[in-house]
Amino acid sequence: MTRTLWAGLALLPLLACGLPRDPEGTLERVRREGIRVGLSDADPWVTLGGGPPRGVEVALVLELARRLGARVHWHPGDLEGRLAALHERELDLVAGGLTVDSPWGKRVALTRPYYVESMLVGAAPGTAPPGTLRDARVAVEAGSGMAARVRERGAVPIEVPRLPGGRPLLAAPGWRLAAWRYRPMGEPLQRREHVLAVAPGENAWLLRIEELLRDREDWVARRLTDQGPP
Amino acid sequence: MRVQAPYELPDEKREQRRHAVRLEWATLAWMGSIVAVIGLAMGSSQAMKAAWVEDLLSLVPPIGFLVATRVEGRPPTERFPYGYRRAMSISFLLAAVALFLFGALLLADSILQLVRREHPTIGAVEIAGRTVWSGWVMIAALAYSVVPPMLLGRRKLPLAGALHDKTLHADASMNRADWLTGASGIAGVLGVGLGWWWADAVAAGVISIAILTDGARHLGRVVEDLMDRRPQTVEGEEPHPVVERVRGALAALPWVRSAEVRLREEGHVLVGEAFLAASDTSDLPSKIARAAEIADDVDWRVHEVVVTVVPDGDGAGEPASER
Repeated sequence: MTRTLWAGLALLPLLACGLPRDPEGTLERVRREGIRVGLSDADPWVTLGGGPPRGVEVALVLELARRLGARVHWHPGDLEGRLAALHERELDLVAGGLTVDSPWGKRVALTRPYYVESMLVGAAPGTAPPGTLRDARVAVEAGSGMAARVRERGAVPIEVPRLPGGRPLLAAPGWRLAAWRYRPMGEPLQRREHVLAVAPGENAWLLRIEELLRDREDWVARRLTDQGPP
Repeated sequence: MRVQAPYELPDEKREQRRHAVRLEWATLAWMGSIVAVIGLAMGSSQAMKAAWVEDLLSLVPPIGFLVATRVEGRPPTERFPYGYRRAMSISFLLAAVALFLFGALLLADSILQLVRREHPTIGAVEIAGRTVWSGWVMIAALAYSVVPPMLLGRRKLPLAGALHDKTLHADASMNRADWLTGASGIAGVLGVGLGWWWADAVAAGVISIAILTDGARHLGRVVEDLMDRRPQTVEGEEPHPVVERVRGALAALPWVRSAEVRLREEGHVLVGEAFLAASDTSDLPSKIARAAEIADDVDWRVHEVVVTVVPDGDGAGEPASER
């Protein structure tokens, strides 16, 4: 019995070539027929409206297509619809500003994070940041969900319609702070790990995408700052 | 209330028990490391989850054994005049119930996954700067999980026989069968790698059926045990010859016309009653005391046989010469 076990394990390297495979042959198919990509508007990750799609994730998908020598078929629309189609394998990939915390993670395959966005408190250029956040008045964009995170640090959130609005202290993603030349202070209020979504179970396809997404932090950071201050 | 005399293990058995205790601590350490390794490599594979649950459950019998070994050694008290020896059976019962329930849950989960046609996703992991398929990591973890339990099981099994300890025996045979869990898990992950999405759920199903049947079998045995079933061999199939040896030793006494014996197991200890028909009832108290001593000496496991004299024709078995 143990001998058969060892014999089996010894054959493993032979099997190893060509593993993993896609149950539905997605990687092979996209090379021939093109990648069906679902898109949902999520600035700056996916920017839709007037003309071809733009955005960080769109750029990643175009890079992937270039490497595979494949065409891209864009399918813009609502996020829920795109993800449902992905679950049914009617799409191969979905880009829509998803993060690793998405509840859809159980029904579709999420890639490893290609970029970690840190939400930080920043001090306006030329001002002296306070020693502590406790009781500090920090501007947050209304409806962004940052008010609660600011309160957790003992600071007082001031909801404003637009940032930076000349505020001395505000909470925003690190890359925005860099564009406005605000100086980040303290530990991040929140970390958002951005991912793409892939059809579940297509493991060769997923592996290929994850190879592309490796070491993309700087690439993505440059793209974000290239967009210019919004 | 007359409290039972405390039971003393003979020296050689005490040494064997110490050895068993050391092996069970080693089992806890090794299985703990395996649970950690598989937990880290698990991902979203159903087969890995089943293997992880099985390895987690493997911690229960050793813990049960170690706790029961401490508890059952306590001398009987007013409150527990028969002592604490049932502790071992109770720990066995808990382990068996846990196995049974978890096996059933995992099986239901695996069947659901098949019915829903859920394709398991096994992506990439970064190792030493290279992007590697997680399936290889899972297979490595499963291969690691196979070896320690098999080796430990092989060392514990003979000790379980020598100590006539059912918990140890069940634990050791579960360890030895762990190769099935590892092999199924590896087959499941490889199957998914080959593009057979159902391989994961099927492997998980195989593992959960193994857990379920283990649990059911042990549950049956410990329930019988707690119902004071007649003493059987440690594998649990044959009536144990010690009962006849006790009866024979008593029937051989010169003043005894015929003897019958009724014994039950409490952990590894045997207690019970002997019914003697006497041909000569002079000086009965010291004769009875001597008979009890003789019964105790038959086997290291016999602890207390309460000897009583019954009238002739009470059906106290056949005379010594006929059995």
